[in-house]
Amino acid sequence: MESKYNLKSPAVKRLMKEAAELRDPTEHYHAQPLEDNLFEWHFSVRGPPDSDFDGGVYHGRIVLPPEYPMKPPSIILLTPNGRFEVGKKICLSISGHHPETWQPSWSIRTALIAIIGFMPTKGEGAIGSLDYTPEERRALAKKSQDFCCEACGSCMRTALQALSPDSDLRPADPQAHRLAQQINFKAESSSDSAGASAASSQAEQHSTSGSTADDRDSQDSTLAEQSGSTSLAPQTSAEGPSSVAPSPRQRRTQNQTQSPRYPAFTASPVAQQPPQDTGHTGSVVLIFLLTLALAALIFRRIYLANEYKFDYEL
Amino acid sequence: MKMADELQESSQGEMEGVNCLASDEAILAQQDRIQHEIATTNPLVSGRQDLSVLKGEYAAEDTIYQLKIKDLHKTYSHIRKTRPDGNCFYRAFGFAHLESLLEDSKELQRFKDVAAKSKLDLVNQGFTEFTIEDFHNTFMDLIDLCEKQQSLGELLSSFNDQSVSDYIVVYLRLLTSGYLQREHGFFQHFIEGGRCVKEFCQQEVEPMSKESDHIHIIALAKALNVPILVEYMDRGEGGTVNHHIFPEGREPRIFLLYRPGHYDILYK
Repeated sequence: MESKYNLKSPAVKRLMKEAAELRDPTEHYHAQPLEDNLFEWHFSVRGPPDSDFDGGVYHGRIVLPPEYPMKPPSIILLTPNGRFEVGKKICLSISGHHPETWQPSWSIRTALIAIIGFMPTKGEGAIGSLDYTPEERRALAKKSQDFCCEACGSCMRTALQALSPDSDLRPADPQAHRLAQQINFKAESSSDSAGASAASSQAEQHSTSGSTADDRDSQDSTLAEQSGSTSLAPQTSAEGPSSVAPSPRQRRTQNQTQSPRYPAFTASPVAQQPPQDTGHTGSVVLIFLLTLALAALIFRRIYLANEYKFDYEL
Repeated sequence: MKMADELQESSQGEMEGVNCLASDEAILAQQDRIQHEIATTNPLVSGRQDLSVLKGEYAAEDTIYQLKIKDLHKTYSHIRKTRPDGNCFYRAFGFAHLESLLEDSKELQRFKDVAAKSKLDLVNQGFTEFTIEDFHNTFMDLIDLCEKQQSLGELLSSFNDQSVSDYIVVYLRLLTSGYLQREHGFFQHFIEGGRCVKEFCQQEVEPMSKESDHIHIIALAKALNVPILVEYMDRGEGGTVNHHIFPEGREPRIFLLYRPGHYDILYK
C-alpha cells in the first residue's frame, strides 16, 4: 500500500498512522482500511451492553474525504441493526447545527466510540435512523454475529477480541454515551426541505462534567464533554457546568410528562429540551391547522363571491 | 399566508428532528459556495501591498474610514492580506511571526525551542499524541524552512498551500486551546454563556473557521511569548485607530490590522 500513495499527502500520512494505531482489535471496536483503498475502511463495533444491541457485533464502512482530517469521515452500516439504515451514508458531524465543529484532532477511533454510544439513543425519525422495537433489535443483535463481510473478509464472530469475564464491560461506555449526545449522525439526504431553518435550534443540553477534566487520557474523552449545540444563543442553555445531559431514558420520560397537546405553540428556540418525541404529533397538528386555515380561506372566498352575487342581484 | 408562516415558525421546534438534517445540507452547501467564492478571490496570504490599497476599499466620502486610514499611514507603510475564512487571525499571526524570524536568528532559536516543547505540553494535557503530531511536525518543518532556506518566497508559498497552511492553523488553534485550558482559572472570568473553558475551547477555538477575539489573541501571544499589537479600525468616531497590545505593556513583535471580523498583517 505504501507505494501507491503520496506519503506527503497529509491525509495519507494521518490515515497510515491511524491504521497502525487501530491495527489490533479491541474488545469493543476494530477498524482497518481496505487493502486496495486507504480512504475506505471497514469497522466492527460491539453493541453496548445493557442495551438492545447487547451481544451484537456490527460491521460497516468508513469513507474518508480527501481533505481528512480537516473534513469529517462518513459512516455506512452494513449489518442490519435496527438503529441505522443499512447502506445509507451517515456522516459524522458534531451536532446538526454546527457541522463545522468537527475537530481535526479527532480520529476514526473517536468516530467508532461515537457510533457505539449513539446506538442506544433514539432515532427520532431522522433520515437514516430506524426505531425498531427492542425485540427486533435483539433478534438482529443475535443474527449480526453470523455476518461475514465479502469486501474485507472479516467475520463478526472473530472480528473483535472476545470479552473476558474480568474485562470491564463498559470501558468506553460512559464516555461514549456522553460523546454520542453531542454527535449527530447526519444522513446524507438529497431531499431539500425549504421549510427547514437553522432557527430550529437543536438546543441540546450542555453535557459537561468538570470533574473528569483532569484525568482525561485522550482527546476522545474531551469530546464527550463538549457542550451540545445551542446555535441560537449559547446563553439560553446555560444550565451551568454542573448540569449533566439526560440519558435517552430520562429524556423520554421528560418528554412524556410534557403536555403533547399543542406542542406547536410551546416550542421555541429557547426551549432547553425541545419535545423530540412529539415531533410526529407536531406534524399532525400542523397539518390539521393548515387544513383548517385553508378551509377558512376557501370558505371566505366562496362567501365573498356569493356576497358579490347577492349585491348584484339586489 | 401570514398565519401559515407563523404556523411554520412555531412548528420548527417539532420538525427539527427531520428538517434540521435537510437544512444542514442546505446550509453546508451554501457555506461551501461562499467559501469557494472567497477562496477564488483571495489568496490565503497575499503579497506585501502598499498601505494605500486600503483607501480604494472605502468610498471617498466615507470620512470615518478615510480619516482612520490616514492615521494608519502615520505608523505603517505596507499591508499583507489574509483570506477572510475565519482562520485569518491564526494565519496572519503565523505568517507575520515566521516572516519576522527570517531576519532574527536569536528569536528564531527561542521560538523553535518553545514550539518544539509545546507538543509535550499538549500531550500532557490529554491531547491525543498521534493526532496532533502531524500538525506539530508541519509547524516545526516550517520553522526549519525559515532557518535553513531563509526564503520569503518559500514561506509565502507554504502558507498558500492549503494543506500546509491549514495544518499550521490547526496547530496554532491547539496551542491557543492548550494555553486557555492550562490557565483556566484566569480565563474562566472572560467566557460568556456559562460555559467552562474546555467547552469554550471545543466550540470556539479548536474547530476550524471559528473567529478569534481578545481571549484567543492573548492566549496565543502568551503561549508562544510573542507580543501582538492589533490596530482596531471600525466605525467608531474619533478619526484615529486604537490599538491594543497583547499582553499589555510588552514590546510588540507583530502588528495586525483588525477590521470588524477580519485580521490582516501590517508593516511599519
